[in-house]
Amino acid sequence: MKFVANVDFNGGQLRPLDKSDVDTIIKLYQKQTLAGQSEAASKEHAERLIELSVQMAATQRGLMWAIEVDGKMLGMLSLYDWQPTSLKTLMRLDALPSLDQQHQVDALHSGIDYLAHKYHLRNFSFQCLPEGEDAIIDVIKLAGFEQSARLRDFRRTSQTEFSDILVFNLILTESTAGEQ
Amino acid sequence: MNWNLNTEHYYVRFAHEDDIENIYALLSTKGVVKHHPKSPMVVEAQAMDEARRMVMQFEAKEAAFWLVEEKASGKVIARIRLQKFNWVNASAQLVLDIFPDYKIPAHVAEIVYAVLTLGYEDLSLHRIEWLLQASDARTIELAKAFGFQYEGQLNSVIEFEGQWIDYQVYSMLNEDEQWQQAIKNEGL
Repeated sequence: MKFVANVDFNGGQLRPLDKSDVDTIIKLYQKQTLAGQSEAASKEHAERLIELSVQMAATQRGLMWAIEVDGKMLGMLSLYDWQPTSLKTLMRLDALPSLDQQHQVDALHSGIDYLAHKYHLRNFSFQCLPEGEDAIIDVIKLAGFEQSARLRDFRRTSQTEFSDILVFNLILTESTAGEQ
Repeated sequence: MNWNLNTEHYYVRFAHEDDIENIYALLSTKGVVKHHPKSPMVVEAQAMDEARRMVMQFEAKEAAFWLVEEKASGKVIARIRLQKFNWVNASAQLVLDIFPDYKIPAHVAEIVYAVLTLGYEDLSLHRIEWLLQASDARTIELAKAFGFQYEGQLNSVIEFEGQWIDYQVYSMLNEDEQWQQAIKNEGL
């Protein structure tokens, strides 16, 4: 049974992760970001991530798509903390330098559109670190997300240090769901 | 570790078997639960179920619940809890259910200070957040007066009776100046 659908977007597609994606996943997961990762990925992590992506989708706890353009995997769009009854999810977007901004925005729009229609999700959020995530923040703002909060010292970064996180939200109303 | 706390006017203590009617009296009162959001309890069996859940969540290290008993009258006037413990990030959420007539700043400060002290000192928490609905103006005033800082809004967190509920986020860090001052003053 297929738990992760293929979703086309302008110039590319979102598709399920595959065993051949290990090297790209390792490249994508080298930076420290929030959802679903606390350290840089290794081969074992990447292989486990691919296995986990199926389990997560099957139980509607999360979902992972490869972002593919011209037959090459250039990024990932993922859901964490998917709450089907509250119609909300936390998202994560990872892009190699070769995945341009417009493709990232289009991929994000298409993923949200699919999730809104298939699962009726309406509340999408991102958590970003205040430093070093400007490119992703630009993309999610272009996709319609707005910052709703800055949570102080929300995430532990070492035994004694904590970092703020920025919370971005996109809430679909019935009319915006149609537009998406 | 002693989970039962003793303040000037209150015993802030864990519930026991005889507290079912106290829990029911509190959580069947509309003014207590209206901003949480939650429907008031309508039968005492719900309080028994709630008491079981309190024990289960404590045993699972997900939350800790205290009933607040007024020393002078013996009346249980509130329930306070720390929930959603995140042991990695050293954080938790504060929730207060209290009879509206007892929402007196000095007395609530006494109760909250006792629980925050346990949270920061005994549980080594770094961040305690208080999620409040914008309609709960009295509690928001209390949170601000105690030194909780506003951080923004979490949108459409849950659905209740056909409405999506937003939460205003307030937090206190153990290194915040307000908390450090509270320690020196032995009160908020």
